[in-house]
Amino acid sequence: MTPMDLNSTRFVSYHDINVEDTDLIEDAWGFNNDFRDVISFLRMFRIEPEEGLTKKLIDKIRANGR
Amino acid sequence: MKKIISDYELISRFIKGEESCFEQLIHRHKSKVFAYITLYIRDHALAEDIFQDTFLKVIQSVKAGKYSDNGKFLSWVMRIAHNLIIDHFRRVKQMNTISNDNYDSDLFNSIKLSDGNIENELIKRQIHNDVRTMISCLPNDQREVVILRHYADLSFREIAELTGVSINTALGRMRYALINLRKMMEDKKISLTLN
Repeated sequence: MTPMDLNSTRFVSYHDINVEDTDLIEDAWGFNNDFRDVISFLRMFRIEPEEGLTKKLIDKIRANGR
Repeated sequence: MKKIISDYELISRFIKGEESCFEQLIHRHKSKVFAYITLYIRDHALAEDIFQDTFLKVIQSVKAGKYSDNGKFLSWVMRIAHNLIIDHFRRVKQMNTISNDNYDSDLFNSIKLSDGNIENELIKRQIHNDVRTMISCLPNDQREVVILRHYADLSFREIAELTGVSINTALGRMRYALINLRKMMEDKKISLTLN
């Protein structure tokens, strides 16, 4: 009996695995796999503060700093 | 490759007098903080006020030496935003006059129709409205964990600390929230074609 697929399994080193933007605890619970549809829908809500608002805030901070 | 300056370094430089460093922090985190606030506060003008107050309070606290870095600047900012939102609701409850529901469409009416075509903007508004409505239908504890994870971008560890529950409880709440949201999507006949 020959071992199964030993030659085809690519070795991935620890450093090759990019977990920078991954919450490993969340990953372990499998939310991204089990609820891909819901999570994709939630991510469609993206809202930015208006440029004017950010500018107003920065102006306020600068004025307070003086 | 350009090196990304950490939040901690930016704060340290701000304390030493480099004002522009705090501006970098605002640009870095503004979307998350704003999304977090607007999902709780439907009145657009009020959400903008709380957004500004949050960062002003952050500055005050940093200058007063109340911030000790443990790599969780954003989580700390969210806590401040969270407290300001709670203060607001307390005030409203005391006054007992204004309902948050009256402002349902304010935020969406303020979205400019200048970018892209009008049809796309209307679709975007509809999606925003659906997401908001569905999130607002969740029980408070589930809603909180969804907003903190998917809009404030906090890790489960940070969410657990912020909400004062164990990581497992936060994860459990998220699972129930996602199940409920999927049910709402099915009821509303929302389906997504995923690549």
